[in-house]
Amino acid sequence: MTRRLLALLLALALPLGAARPQRVVSQTVGTDELLLALADPGQIAALSHIAQDARFSPVATEAKRFPMIRESDAESVLRFRPDLVLATTFTRPETLNLLRRAGVRLLVLDRFDTLEDVYASLQLLGRELGQEARAEALVAQCRARVDTLAARLRGVRPVRVLSATIYPFTSGAGTTFQDLCEHAGALNVAAEAGLRGHAPTPSERLLQWRAEVLVVSDDPGIQARLGEIPHYRALPAFKAGRLVPVPGPLMSSISHHRIAAYEVLARALHPDRFR
Amino acid sequence: MRSRAAIPALLALLALAFLASLAFGELRLSFGQVLAALQGGGDDIARTVVRDFRLPRALVGMAVGAALGASGVVMQAFFRNPLASPGLLGVSSGGALGAVAVLALGPLLGFASAAIWVLPLASTAGAFAATGAVLMLAQRGAGTERLLLSGVALNALLGAGTSFLLTTTAGHFEVNAQILFWLMGGLESRSWEHVWMGGPPILAACLLLLPLGRAMDLLSLGEQSAQSLGVDVRRLRFQLVLLSTILTALATAVAGMVGFVGLVVPHVLRLAFGPDHRRLLPYSMLGGAAFLLACDLVTRVFPMGLRLGVVTALIGGPFFLWLLRRPR
Amino acid sequence: MTAPALQTTSLAVLGRLEPVSLELGPGELVALVGPNGAGKSTLIQALAGLLPAQGTIQWNGQSLSRILMPDRGRRLAWVGQEALFEFAFPVREVVAQGRYAWGDDLSGVAEALAELDLTHLADRPATRLSGGERHRVGLARALATLAPIQLWDEPVAQLDVRHALEVMRLARRLADAGGTVLVSLHDLRAAYRFDRVLVLDRGRLVGNGRPHDVLTAPLIREVFRVEATFVESLVPELPPG
Repeated sequence: MTRRLLALLLALALPLGAARPQRVVSQTVGTDELLLALADPGQIAALSHIAQDARFSPVATEAKRFPMIRESDAESVLRFRPDLVLATTFTRPETLNLLRRAGVRLLVLDRFDTLEDVYASLQLLGRELGQEARAEALVAQCRARVDTLAARLRGVRPVRVLSATIYPFTSGAGTTFQDLCEHAGALNVAAEAGLRGHAPTPSERLLQWRAEVLVVSDDPGIQARLGEIPHYRALPAFKAGRLVPVPGPLMSSISHHRIAAYEVLARALHPDRFR
Repeated sequence: MRSRAAIPALLALLALAFLASLAFGELRLSFGQVLAALQGGGDDIARTVVRDFRLPRALVGMAVGAALGASGVVMQAFFRNPLASPGLLGVSSGGALGAVAVLALGPLLGFASAAIWVLPLASTAGAFAATGAVLMLAQRGAGTERLLLSGVALNALLGAGTSFLLTTTAGHFEVNAQILFWLMGGLESRSWEHVWMGGPPILAACLLLLPLGRAMDLLSLGEQSAQSLGVDVRRLRFQLVLLSTILTALATAVAGMVGFVGLVVPHVLRLAFGPDHRRLLPYSMLGGAAFLLACDLVTRVFPMGLRLGVVTALIGGPFFLWLLRRPR
Repeated sequence: MTAPALQTTSLAVLGRLEPVSLELGPGELVALVGPNGAGKSTLIQALAGLLPAQGTIQWNGQSLSRILMPDRGRRLAWVGQEALFEFAFPVREVVAQGRYAWGDDLSGVAEALAELDLTHLADRPATRLSGGERHRVGLARALATLAPIQLWDEPVAQLDVRHALEVMRLARRLADAGGTVLVSLHDLRAAYRFDRVLVLDRGRLVGNGRPHDVLTAPLIREVFRVEATFVESLVPELPPG
């Protein structure tokens, strides 16, 4: 059912009745996470060029066991002679084109806003890898986690939150941040105010949104950095020090690892529900 | 046009632009609210918006506009060419490279973002490094033509460096976006720190420039004739390059790359009021400040995500063309 | 015995001027002649302190290196061959620039304009003048400096007959009043009316003295490669008064 939400781009088809792919290359961090969760170690040929960078990858430690592609271009990928390449719409079209030309089987994911999108990706990938059982198990596990969390948060008053970054953008409706808020008992004031996607920060209207808490990444010194920006400095929530750090890689994760972010935020916003 | 009316007219224009910058913006505030906010009263949000957002931003805008206007006059006198602009000697490219280097290499070196003073500092350092070679040439009496060519080569080299850094950060698209925003210039999130960083030095440089107007008149009609009439040309050229560099470097450091102001404002004012630099310098400072504030107002009032550098070109360009078409 | 107005010892410019030693006194009207490329402009620029040069130069007995810039503007005026004005200063303003070294004192500007027949052009932008008019503006500016030493590089080359003669008469009057005027020119016949002639040939000073003594047929043949025939004066005169 959710299959139609995904754009499935296939290269020249492999011979019918192919065995499980044994040399899978993941070109982006998001697909690293999915791949590591589902594949046998022997199936993985290489992960993305930032898979081992803890600043961007939630699976940095786990990724250390595997080689990385040197750069994100087609040649670096093809060096590993993959029989399956995982990419997303963040990948440059030129790279995708070259990979297609090379006759490599390509799986491009383009929807990851909600959990249902993630589950669909997991199931799709599971089929590709011949790991349907593992995929189903993981999905079930995730659903359980999410249900547990939802149960804990039942009836809670959503806390009014705002995502604060040093970049001049604010996350509105239809972003992973929105998804995070919905699962952690929070209300994204930017979405309430009508912002969609990653919109330029409306620095003056911000003051009227009555955010109670600012959600920030867990970079050390982020508070000082934000304090230099007039429109954050002036917020009552900032002045009162109500900032909740969430690990960056988790917050922007397009895989099931985001559930960890849900839990971090939920705990911070509603500690009484976690005793 | 009579120049006696110039200073009052330009001051009035600047005052108008300044008040408009305080009164208009994302949030609708009445004049009464703005006045109350300035005096410390009114509701909290209005007061914060006017005093902590719009006021520093307007002050920074004035400083940047004045700096670029003045720098443009200097370059045009120095190169004896009314089409010269502040960036000719590579100052703004150097400033751009300095800031972009910090933005690009910062994440790689471990800190995700730069402290508020690091970026302007890096930009100023880059600007001075770039002009360092040119300053040495200017002192050793290198001809104007050679300086110009050095500037051209330097601009190309620094531009290549900046592009290189842009491509190496292409994977980190957030950093990339920050770099692009900086390269397109803007006054977002300018705070009182920026006012103190840029304001006093720019003011000092402008004041130091004013007494040089008469000598600039002579220089603008020929270096040898100026020298024979008693101008210490070597010292004057050094002073002009130094002050212009300071002005352009600081303007770039605080607002990113904003083009066109230094070219159009002095040129337009010269067409209107004549080439006397004793008048052109202060006029261009006032005019530049007013122009920049007006362009910034446009970026804030029309929510189309226009960047400051884009607006200065979109407004300045056609106006300039129209002015040139008028029969002499 | 007053010091000479201009004195040089082995003044040389690498590649363009061989060592030149000369003395010009107050009240002298001096012509500088020579073929194209002989170094006339170079010598004049060097004398004015506008070119780096070897040897010594003294103005009124004082070494040039000891004379401060503003003072130089009061003591010597230079008019170059080119007269290009990039910016549209009115003629009056350009001439007034000659008063730079005198501070705010603008006396002499109106007279300078009148001397060069520029009064009717006083408010015209300098960019809208003919070549000859622009040269006259340069001369007026030099005049306005009231400098006792005047060095003019080919001042009459682009002037019509009447204005050329007027400039020569002006030079004569300045010299008669005690100034030292050095003028480079191509017209050898006009050079005869000067007190002294300097002849440059390929960077060397080959003649320095009174016109009749210096501009002889052999020298003219040697330096200018033309045959000179001496005829009684046919130089046009301005009507008196």
